Amino acid sequence: MHSLMRSSQHYPKPQSNEVVRTVALMGTFVTVHVVGDMAGHKGETERTERELAVERALDWFYKIEECCTRFEASSEVMQLATRVGVRVPVSTILFEAVQFALAVAEATEGAFDPTVGYAMESLGFNREYRTGQTIRTALDSSGSVSYRDVRLDAERQTITLLRPLILDLGAVAKGLAVDLAVRELQSFENFAINAGGDLYLAGCNPNGEPWSIGIRHPRRDNELIDSIRVSNRAVCTSGDYEKRAAADEQGHHILDPRTGSSANAVASVTVIAPTAMLADALATAAFVLGPSDGIRLFHRLGVDGLIISPTLELYATRGFSEYH
Amino acid sequence: MDKSTLLLAAIILAVFGASVAAGHPHWGTFTGIAIILLAAGLGAGTLPLRSQDFVEERTSPTQRISNGLITLSSAAIVAIYAAGYHRTSPAAHRFDSQIPQQRTSATIAIATPPPAANPGSAAAPPVSSSAAPAIKKNTKRPSTPSRKAAPSSASDSTGSSVSSTSAPSPGSTTNPPAVAAPAVPAKSAYKDGVYLGWGSCRHGDIEASVTIQDGKIALVAISQCLTRYSCGWIAPKIPGAGLPDLPSQVVERQGPKVDYVSGATESSYAFADAVVAALSKATE
Repeated sequence: MHSLMRSSQHYPKPQSNEVVRTVALMGTFVTVHVVGDMAGHKGETERTERELAVERALDWFYKIEECCTRFEASSEVMQLATRVGVRVPVSTILFEAVQFALAVAEATEGAFDPTVGYAMESLGFNREYRTGQTIRTALDSSGSVSYRDVRLDAERQTITLLRPLILDLGAVAKGLAVDLAVRELQSFENFAINAGGDLYLAGCNPNGEPWSIGIRHPRRDNELIDSIRVSNRAVCTSGDYEKRAAADEQGHHILDPRTGSSANAVASVTVIAPTAMLADALATAAFVLGPSDGIRLFHRLGVDGLIISPTLELYATRGFSEYH
Repeated sequence: MDKSTLLLAAIILAVFGASVAAGHPHWGTFTGIAIILLAAGLGAGTLPLRSQDFVEERTSPTQRISNGLITLSSAAIVAIYAAGYHRTSPAAHRFDSQIPQQRTSATIAIATPPPAANPGSAAAPPVSSSAAPAIKKNTKRPSTPSRKAAPSSASDSTGSSVSSTSAPSPGSTTNPPAVAAPAVPAKSAYKDGVYLGWGSCRHGDIEASVTIQDGKIALVAISQCLTRYSCGWIAPKIPGAGLPDLPSQVVERQGPKVDYVSGATESSYAFADAVVAALSKATE
């Protein structure tokens, strides 16, 4: 877990007006924590309502994963990879996820690029976390691919792959699932969702204060390098200490799409944004761009963030200090 | 320039354009119409932003592109949320049953029929427990779907019995055992046996297998799912979580009249057609 929700380390037993649920999903643990009462409901009914809402929220993770996972040959995104040069009608989930990923690729001039799927797989990021099974896709991957090799037709909701490639929606899908879960929980004022580093914090924590988020020290375990207070914002932290590649001990899970190897100018990135999908995608992009360009990107796109270099220098946006 | 400025500019241009058009019949009409069109364009540009009111406006240095990305991410969430169907029953059982090994329950109570209309409400727990042993089977999609009945039911692997009435193995590999025979005997119009039928839609083909026992529809499964989308949308891998489960509906209702699943309408039609085709063989 990248960002540590501070209160999660010493959760008291959930009060009667709290619900905390954790499930293993999307290669990580997803925790939903709802605090306080829902307007217009009381007592047992309220509790049931709340538990149902939490289940619906978690269900989105399941649904998004089923559609967007690279580790299951039967997922929609992998089925898409088998059909090159054809307009493939796709589900709304896949279309919107890809459309957003391409827009970020465009905005970052390819520092973020969802077409790195095959390169990731080749580097050993090919293990399904639940079953441990690895996937190997036979792909005629002569030459490099980029986000420009993917075409969308919004009217017909189709995706066309111009060349053989695998879309890696990892940076988008988890955030997307968080954002959908947020919508599912909209009737609650105070809640937190933590999906392994992709967080959304609504309202206040059980103590009635803005949620406190610790940012993990990228080189020292169990130590925080900074902490912030947020409310009604998504926070995403991405670190080079997570998910080392099987094939390459030095490699980690964020590739520079332009070189095909692990990006190594950054030790960890934290982004604060209105949606988790945007926060995650921009954290990934900043990882590739490096501290200076990353902060410039954040300023340009109107989000706040903190980038830590491998030598532990801190780079922050102008607005970042407001979250302390 | 924010949207209210744009709208204001559009209104001013429209008024100006109209007055030019009215005042100068010779050249003014043309120019006036052009200005009105420009105004309309500007006005239209402000409109899509209105649906994004929930996006918090930032005062820090934002540029067009940032609003674009923030707006786009919010719009994507709205689109998916709107397209998804809303469930009202707990999905807890499905998550619990993700670990089939931890399940020890060997016997499955599916003798009592669940309430017909809503596949999610009270019936969820028992159906879910029956799903647990089936998972192993279902997560592995057969790469070469065989139309012939593989004499395996989900119960084989765990040694649990599916139900006392499910003697014939339907050869379903893609779907867990559906709810067994209902208490109310339906009209015995069908001949006993296992029947297959195909249904098609623009996303692909679905083959349904229908098992008739004692003249009733005892078991329905999707035996081949050749659609682009996972058949999990209409026949969840793990039933009982309140997701639409069309095969179970056929058993419950003793006929092909199933609910259509929002977001998987075409597949629903294809499935219904496949059941009709299979049932037609049972009445021959």
